[in-house]
Amino acid sequence: MELFATYGLNFLYATATYGLVVFGLAVIFGLLGVMNMAHGEFVMLGAYAALTVQEAGLSNWFVVPAALLLCGAVGGAIEWSVIRHLYRRPFDTLLATWGLAILIREIVEVVFGRDYQNVNQYQTGTVDLAGIEYPAYRISVLLSVLVLSAAVAAWYAYSNTGARIRAMVTNRELANAVGIDTSRLARLTFIAGVAAAGTAGAMLAPLVRVEPYMGLDYLLTSFFILVVGGIGTLEGMLIGSAVIAGTDVAVSAMFDKTAGYMTVLVVSIFFLWLRPDGLYRSK
Amino acid sequence: MDRRTFIRRSIEAAVVAGASSSLFGSAVQAANILKVGILIPMSGPAGLFGPSCENCARLAIEEINAEGGIVGRMVEPHFGDVGGPPDVATRVALKLWKGDGVEAFIGMHDSAVRGALTNQFKGQVPYVYTPVYEGGECSVGTYVLGETPTQQLEPVVPWLAANRSANRWYLIGNDYNWPRDTNSAAKTYIASSGGEVVGEEYLPFTADNFDSNLAKIRDSNANAVLVTLVGAASVGFCRTFASFGLADSAIRVGTLIEENTLAGIGAENSANLYSSAGYFASINTPAANAFSEAYFSRFGSDAAALNALGQSTYDGMMLLRALAERAGSLSAAEMDTVADGVTFDGPRGFATMQDRHVTKSIYLAEAVGTEFNVIETFADVGAGSNCG
Repeated sequence: MELFATYGLNFLYATATYGLVVFGLAVIFGLLGVMNMAHGEFVMLGAYAALTVQEAGLSNWFVVPAALLLCGAVGGAIEWSVIRHLYRRPFDTLLATWGLAILIREIVEVVFGRDYQNVNQYQTGTVDLAGIEYPAYRISVLLSVLVLSAAVAAWYAYSNTGARIRAMVTNRELANAVGIDTSRLARLTFIAGVAAAGTAGAMLAPLVRVEPYMGLDYLLTSFFILVVGGIGTLEGMLIGSAVIAGTDVAVSAMFDKTAGYMTVLVVSIFFLWLRPDGLYRSK
Repeated sequence: MDRRTFIRRSIEAAVVAGASSSLFGSAVQAANILKVGILIPMSGPAGLFGPSCENCARLAIEEINAEGGIVGRMVEPHFGDVGGPPDVATRVALKLWKGDGVEAFIGMHDSAVRGALTNQFKGQVPYVYTPVYEGGECSVGTYVLGETPTQQLEPVVPWLAANRSANRWYLIGNDYNWPRDTNSAAKTYIASSGGEVVGEEYLPFTADNFDSNLAKIRDSNANAVLVTLVGAASVGFCRTFASFGLADSAIRVGTLIEENTLAGIGAENSANLYSSAGYFASINTPAANAFSEAYFSRFGSDAAALNALGQSTYDGMMLLRALAERAGSLSAAEMDTVADGVTFDGPRGFATMQDRHVTKSIYLAEAVGTEFNVIETFADVGAGSNCG
């Protein structure tokens, strides 16, 4: 019973962290059509922002702002120098961002070295949830993701900017014609996506290994989630996260980790083959 | 070296190899320089260990040359990157051997590469294999410095049973031969020390989420976990393990948790974490301290941190010297007849060659923050039976 409850909490936590990590990619790939292979590296930059804040001896409250600032700046520079020339050429964005990913990894390796880094926990200890000891910080992450997704969903549905982005995504020429500055909007959307990836990295940094190659883990899972859930909507993203997390947790619990990972791969392949639009797609 | 240059040189080496190896050989003899091939990972997943491996090999060679070289010949290192797959590694080694005239090899790399190299060398050139490995290497001309599972666990499991009450063991590792062979050895010592194995699990290299494993470990009421996950997986697992509050209820023991891995695990997550190895940067003996001082004064205080894998190239060179001095030459055939009983001393302590493996000291260390504190030294631990 206790074991099942732990699996249940693990499932919720995995869904929340997947949602957190994939959000930045969902924005950039789902809304702008940029196949962002550097997504994992933006997550990695967020983690290194957290490391830098701690090494500078600042309070942990600066971790997320630092990640937002760093990744926002990097995102802005990349959009201006590379991405804006490629919006209509999805395959070229894949190659360009893959190159950028290698560049970012190498730069981080030059600055911080190849070594594993340690980011101290922001909140230590465990809490007792009906008899199950669960790490307190994980509960905080879970709640933050809930609040953040509700806020983003409301903002996207009801704000003027949200409406403009939807117009740009549906028909860029028409949006331009009615006076929406789509180049500026696209840049801000790209920056938001990179900053979101960085925030995810900063929030997860104490829980994971931090090294220049850590991003590769996140890239693959993020694409699986978007394949399964479908792109362009927050609902699809959350459904994708839940399906991938649920499959992994359930199969790993019943058999072992190898089986869990294999099932995730098989599920993703079947979706690509039979249902390339994913489970959920806005009409 | 970029890939293109590398491929071109490898092809050149292969072409040149057949035609003119004797020519190169005589040129080398004339200069009387002894070229030693140092095969270490400078790229790929193990590339992290490249700098410390290179430094330690250089330091050993400088010290050997200052003391008169090997059989009277000055040693010159020729480095080769074997961080890639076995077929690339064999080309690198072939170029050094037949192209550059290298007369002996030191190798710090994985077992897949070792298998390919012993196949290529066929006992014609002395080859010292230095890292921790799963045991069972028996090729002529291959001399193993690294610890086998028998060495790392035979004294350590009973000690932990007696002193840390470890009797319910959970075995977790990556899914390949080193963890599986280590665990199969561990089961023998766990049973003979009166303990039981309450779980055994192998994870793919891609695993970065350990939640389901931790739920099972907690459910099994294990009080000791043998960790044979490597590198990044070991870091991720140990961090999550501690965040679940499990560090107080179960000890963790690793046979490849070295200084870099511990730094990644972090001080907050390293309580009740133990490591068994032939070397730690913090071994407090005159020889180990002298080595560490020489290392940092030679390469600077910000040089790559010392660790068991990096340091192994130093002792590998010392072993090669001891073998060659006893044989009186670099001939693989002559070395093989005198190898048994060769002794040498170094930062790892006194060691004796036996069945092409090394009987030596094993250290058990407890993590204190991000430092290892050696709490027990087991002298003259044999490598077990590795042939047949």
